[in-house]
Amino acid sequence: MTGIPDSSSAVSPANGNALRSSLPWIVAVVVLLVLPQVFQANSAITILNQMMITIIFALSYNMLLGQGGMLSFGHAVYMGVGGFFCMHVMNLVEANELPIWLHVLPIFGGLFSLGLATIVGSFSTRKAGTVFAMISLGIGELVAACSLIIIVFFGGEEGISGDRTYFKPFFGVKFLQQNEVYYLIAFWTIVSALLMYLFSRTPVGRMANAVRDNPERAEFLGYSARWVRYFSFCGAGFFAGIAGALVAINFEILTETDLNLGKSGMILLITFLGGTGFFFGPIIGAIVFTLLQSVLSLQTELWQLYVGALFVATVMFFPGGLAGLLMMHQPAMRLGNLGLLVVPYVNTLIPAAIGALGLAGLMEMLFHVRHAAVGDIEMRLFWITFDSHTILPWVIAIATMITGFWLAYRNAPKLRE
Amino acid sequence: MTPALQLDGLHKRFGKTEIIRGVDLSIAAGERHAIIGPNGAGKSTLFNLITGRFPCTSGTVRLHGHDLAGKAPYQINRMGLSRSFQITNIFPRMSVFENIRCSLLWSQGYKYSFWNMVGRSPELTSKTMELLEQINLTSRAELPAGVLSYAEQRALEIGITIAGGADVIMLDEPTAGMSHSETDYIVDLIRKVTQDKTLVMVEHDMGVVFGLADRISVLVYGEIIATAPPEEVRANPKVQEAYLGAALQAEH
Repeated sequence: MTGIPDSSSAVSPANGNALRSSLPWIVAVVVLLVLPQVFQANSAITILNQMMITIIFALSYNMLLGQGGMLSFGHAVYMGVGGFFCMHVMNLVEANELPIWLHVLPIFGGLFSLGLATIVGSFSTRKAGTVFAMISLGIGELVAACSLIIIVFFGGEEGISGDRTYFKPFFGVKFLQQNEVYYLIAFWTIVSALLMYLFSRTPVGRMANAVRDNPERAEFLGYSARWVRYFSFCGAGFFAGIAGALVAINFEILTETDLNLGKSGMILLITFLGGTGFFFGPIIGAIVFTLLQSVLSLQTELWQLYVGALFVATVMFFPGGLAGLLMMHQPAMRLGNLGLLVVPYVNTLIPAAIGALGLAGLMEMLFHVRHAAVGDIEMRLFWITFDSHTILPWVIAIATMITGFWLAYRNAPKLRE
Repeated sequence: MTPALQLDGLHKRFGKTEIIRGVDLSIAAGERHAIIGPNGAGKSTLFNLITGRFPCTSGTVRLHGHDLAGKAPYQINRMGLSRSFQITNIFPRMSVFENIRCSLLWSQGYKYSFWNMVGRSPELTSKTMELLEQINLTSRAELPAGVLSYAEQRALEIGITIAGGADVIMLDEPTAGMSHSETDYIVDLIRKVTQDKTLVMVEHDMGVVFGLADRISVLVYGEIIATAPPEEVRANPKVQEAYLGAALQAEH
């Protein structure tokens, strides 16, 4: 959404670049307004809604990981708790017919999570690194366990559900339709992303980077590393709460799965996949992941395996994530010789893709042989129907995989140059 | 006039080992003071005690007459004392510009605000550029600090140290691991940026020490055996015996 890298921030005075820095935001607003006109199907809108919520959640997580250097294993707690609180507000509105617009609900969610973050942050941000990670893991486990015990607030296993249509109509809009909810979420996505971006430009946001890089040195600049971490932590909690409120609005139900460790792990994966070094990295991660989750999961039951493989590949080969990968091309683009990269890319990526498809085919066949009903030996893969119990398809898959990866491996050094 | 820095009966014990064994030292405002001594004499520990990185076992440190006991590094920094480190200690993933700008923030009164945009202040930007000019890193402003050459990183670290406007500057081996020309460059830089300030430095290069310092303290096994102007220290037989003879011979 924004093309502004985190590191090379405005050396030239900011006011001279007002247009350039606001351009990505204008583009983002236009794109969000146009998207539901392009994808009108209800299922597409549902995917877009989820994508935007994930964007807010991932950006808030990156306030910790990318900007503050705090690796959290329990960030979903702040999203979930904010969401649960909003469900209760929703039910209160329904019971008492309170004249509140649905639009302001995210503020409730944000503030509630902020409250929890101020308490947890007061002891968890004392140190970064392992201590912080372990405390976040502990709190995550604790709250997930509580969610099954404290039924009054978390509703036990079935969670808490509500009905968003009892809010005061907003100029006649009663939020019965998915695309009405879409614009509400889009509004909050832009507002939250903008606020988080601006936060990264403030003294505390800048010092968060300094504390991430070198906490001890930062202390000798007059800033307490702990306070700087604390402010980042509270901010991250607030925006996670907003994401949680949007979950409440979008799905009208929250359960334990919205705040457990699995969810926390997922957001870590998304943020890392997108790239923690740039502000827009988590946005890319959220988009890619949601697409994989919704599109790939329709195609195959093994989609989580592929997402996992993608994650491992990212960590190993592109530690900067997808955003880092994109930004690597910036110098070439500036010099105008991006064209030079086309041939090595074709030479490397196409075999790599073929190899990956071969591997995927192998996995699918293995899965089919092990899990299909007894006697069901026919399977369809890449629009071909064949018998998964004969030898030929296996040979083809293995051969494709090996040739593909071998060619990619051979051509990769040329790409690096 | 109160001295800029005053140490009284400073002791530091790690377990049973006493590293600093009763240091008394008074450094006047505007003085350039060097601390020398053999390896393991406790020079860096002394630095860490003064700057609040370690608590002292006993004794007091006073900055402009204020006791520093129990103060955290960031509080001491706000009182006007800034330091560099023996190993290069910068913010490697941030740009050079950002390194300096962050170092300016507190002294410019920004504190923990999250309602100001740092990019919006032309004053902050011009102050940063001014400092970059002083340490000759203007052309490097946009690079990540981690990719600078070693000497440039040391220059940047001095920039970070002086940026906050502290009047007591402590440098821990600013020329360690540098070539001759690089050393000359850093010494010129130190002289330039510490004008009208109090400088305390630990340094192994005797050429640098005798060229820069107004007074020298010799620290041996946690005790100061002499504090005097350079010529007197050079002539002091006790110093000769304990340290300087060997060090000067190594120089030539």
